[in-house]
Amino acid sequence: MKYADIRRHGALFSEYTELRVQEYRSITAGTLNGDVIANNRSASGGMSARVYKDGLWGFASTPESSDAAIRAAILQATENARFLGSKAGRKTAPLPCRPGIGERSLATSKPRLDQKAYIDFVRTIDAYLATQYPFMKSRMVQASTADYEKTLLSSDGAESYSLIPRSLVYASLTMEHEGEPFDLYEIFGGAGQFEDLFDRPETLYPKLDVLAERLQQKAKGVYAKPGEHEVILDSDLAGILAHEAIGHTVEADLVLGGSVAADYMGKTVASPLVTLVDFANTALGRLCPVPLWIDDEGTDARDAILIQDGVLKSYMHNKESAAHFGVEPTGNARAYGFYDEPLIRMRNTAILPGNSKLADMIASVDNGYYFLQSSNGQADSTSEFMFGVVMGYEIKNGKLGAAVRDCTISGVAFSMLQTISMISDDMSWTGAGMCGKKQSIPVGMGGPAIKCRINVGGRA
Amino acid sequence: MNDQFDGMTIVRKAVEALRAAGADKAQAGFSRGSQNEMNIDAGKLSLYRSTVNVSLSLKALVDGRKGVSSLNKYDDDSIRQAAAEAVDMARSSEPDPANDISPGRPLECFDNGITKADSDTMYTRLQDFLAYSKEQYPITQLEQCILDFGRGESFFANSNGAEFEDRGGLYNFSAMFTSKDGGNASSFNYSGAVQKNLDKALQDWGSIDLLMSQSAEQTLASSIDGSFEGDLLIAPDCLGDFVGMLDGVYTSDYPLITGTSPWVDALGKPVVSPLLTIRSQPNSDQLAVQQPYTGDGFRTEDCLLIEQGILRNFTLGLYGANKSGKPRCPSGGGNIVIDGGSSGWQDLVSDVKRGLLLVRFSGGRPSDNGDFSGVAKNSYLIENGKIVRPVGETMIAGNLAQLFSNIKAVSKERINYGSAILPWLLAGPVDISGK
Repeated sequence: MKYADIRRHGALFSEYTELRVQEYRSITAGTLNGDVIANNRSASGGMSARVYKDGLWGFASTPESSDAAIRAAILQATENARFLGSKAGRKTAPLPCRPGIGERSLATSKPRLDQKAYIDFVRTIDAYLATQYPFMKSRMVQASTADYEKTLLSSDGAESYSLIPRSLVYASLTMEHEGEPFDLYEIFGGAGQFEDLFDRPETLYPKLDVLAERLQQKAKGVYAKPGEHEVILDSDLAGILAHEAIGHTVEADLVLGGSVAADYMGKTVASPLVTLVDFANTALGRLCPVPLWIDDEGTDARDAILIQDGVLKSYMHNKESAAHFGVEPTGNARAYGFYDEPLIRMRNTAILPGNSKLADMIASVDNGYYFLQSSNGQADSTSEFMFGVVMGYEIKNGKLGAAVRDCTISGVAFSMLQTISMISDDMSWTGAGMCGKKQSIPVGMGGPAIKCRINVGGRA
Repeated sequence: MNDQFDGMTIVRKAVEALRAAGADKAQAGFSRGSQNEMNIDAGKLSLYRSTVNVSLSLKALVDGRKGVSSLNKYDDDSIRQAAAEAVDMARSSEPDPANDISPGRPLECFDNGITKADSDTMYTRLQDFLAYSKEQYPITQLEQCILDFGRGESFFANSNGAEFEDRGGLYNFSAMFTSKDGGNASSFNYSGAVQKNLDKALQDWGSIDLLMSQSAEQTLASSIDGSFEGDLLIAPDCLGDFVGMLDGVYTSDYPLITGTSPWVDALGKPVVSPLLTIRSQPNSDQLAVQQPYTGDGFRTEDCLLIEQGILRNFTLGLYGANKSGKPRCPSGGGNIVIDGGSSGWQDLVSDVKRGLLLVRFSGGRPSDNGDFSGVAKNSYLIENGKIVRPVGETMIAGNLAQLFSNIKAVSKERINYGSAILPWLLAGPVDISGK
């Protein structure tokens, strides 16, 4: 529910101040081999105040949202900023502002499902998997929805309310082959409440069949050969490449912290085929998986075009980094819980589609790999990255070959991007990602398929 | 803040409310935490953050069906509503005889650490650390450092009469840094540790100074040529990750419930090298962090997980134990302490013909069969018993069970992180590959 009349607390602001009242609600139901192992609901809420003075921040939060608690938190945040300022204050440029004012809600208009409906949903999927694939050693299914609801006021004129939900269905299968277990999972969903995203479990059956088929292929698959190879990264991996390998290096706070991207602004860092954008809320006419209209500093959020035609054009900014670099804030300041301060975070990061066909791209590889699905990824200030790959195939003479068992791929992004020679003309998003950077926060990642050269950590 | 917050009354009320709503068995946990945190970002002090939060979790069992409701309020109406919700949820679920709560035991109270942050000393320690790092490591940039004091109070009760109360206050420091020398940059590295007080300089916590001292030379890292089978001398920060992966694949709830763990029938049998002994010591005075009771309501007991290569305990919780028919872990599985060996870690280098000093591992989630692969970060090539140079763009791949079965030595030196004590460990071979 929107926090009413937040504006009245503005009278307590004595320095640059943000006040955020927030609630998080989640529902989870899950089964393991048919047993209900998760049947949870949670709600947590509270408020925080953040104050900027003499180049330093004070922050305070409380789970209460009474007027007295809000007053106390604003005063505590102010006192914290003054405590640091009295010891280490510095002269800084004033924080730029482009205040956002507005309300956005992605709440469903349908009747809300009760807990039994969530349990029935996952049990129906589990029963389907058990019937269709009785040889699977284990099945795990989980359905969840989470509502992130925020009301924000800033001393420079922003006032916003948002309810941005995210709903996911997770399915994981494990089977044995020659005495060894092999596993594969898939996640479906994105922005929206469960009622709007998942009509009936039956609609997921074709995708679950693909999951089961791929797992069987992987179990009988081969280890990838180590070393640098020509590969096609499908959209899931192109998305994590955009986020981990490039995105993190061009977050302005990490640029200030030592990222190699500090030396690359305005320079060619990728093949001219590459344009990479961190979208605020809408990409190519469609709502992004993690849409943001006004960030948690109150900035009207804009798309950040990071790389255009291979040239590094922008970093992602909050107000403080924008002041440092003398540019406009991009609206990338995001906080996870009410107790968290906003940090520079990605929103929906993607390489834009090109004009090649995926089939032609595969046909163009004599000896390499087609990697489809990643498990996780990590990046470095040097732009060296690593992704776990849980599904892929060999490419031999332009044709898909044996499936590949789990492996890891890596590279140095600003070198690897130069090797991109083809980009497919389609694009897809994943809205299930969580990014960890002090706080864990939902992110969207997307992209087309790309052809490039990359290091594969396989078995000799 | 009230240092003697009465959380026991809240959890007892919650258990009563669950029973009144119709739960056969009921469990409640309440925690209240306050945190004072100072941050350095990009080499400068940036933020002073004070937070307070509470969390109340209510678990209802009705005819073996489970429902859990969590909230961060604790007034009477909220407790009653959450109890009714948990019971409704349980009634919507399916029966599972493995759902249960811990047996009754009289209230036990624990207190560990101090009650209030010393903000002035926190500030002084951070400033001293900034000055130290600038002087000692002039090309090393502090990306982000966080010094916080967390005061936590937790309370537990269930309808069998098990009750616990635990209060603690600890300092936690983490540092993340990278080095730049002209156009050359190192990979970032990081570490952290927990302490009961601020007596020691921050660089002396855990392995922070050791890792910072390596950062500058890592600006010259380069890939190895080709691929080879070689040994890994795994540094303590990295060893913690590997032990966590070992638990996830072989000894925790999921692989034992599903039966995918190859160690499912291996209790009391050798599973890895006899050079490895892993203890779980939630009550150890050697560690700043103590965990006197488990989340499912058992008093913890220090125990052996692996003793000279023999599997002594899984890390199963109550549900996992009931479901798998295997014994519950008496310690809860936390606070890992690995026994040291007899050689200095630098002496172990001389035992390596060709391999890596693996300081940080950036890897994918290991497969259910224990296969792992990833990038060797902040690491060094070892050849003919000598550390030759830092490596970049170098990958390793292997199998966890095989790696821990092929341990060649464990160092006598160990790093105390406050929540774990870990040595260097030499094992292999694994596949090592460059560009």
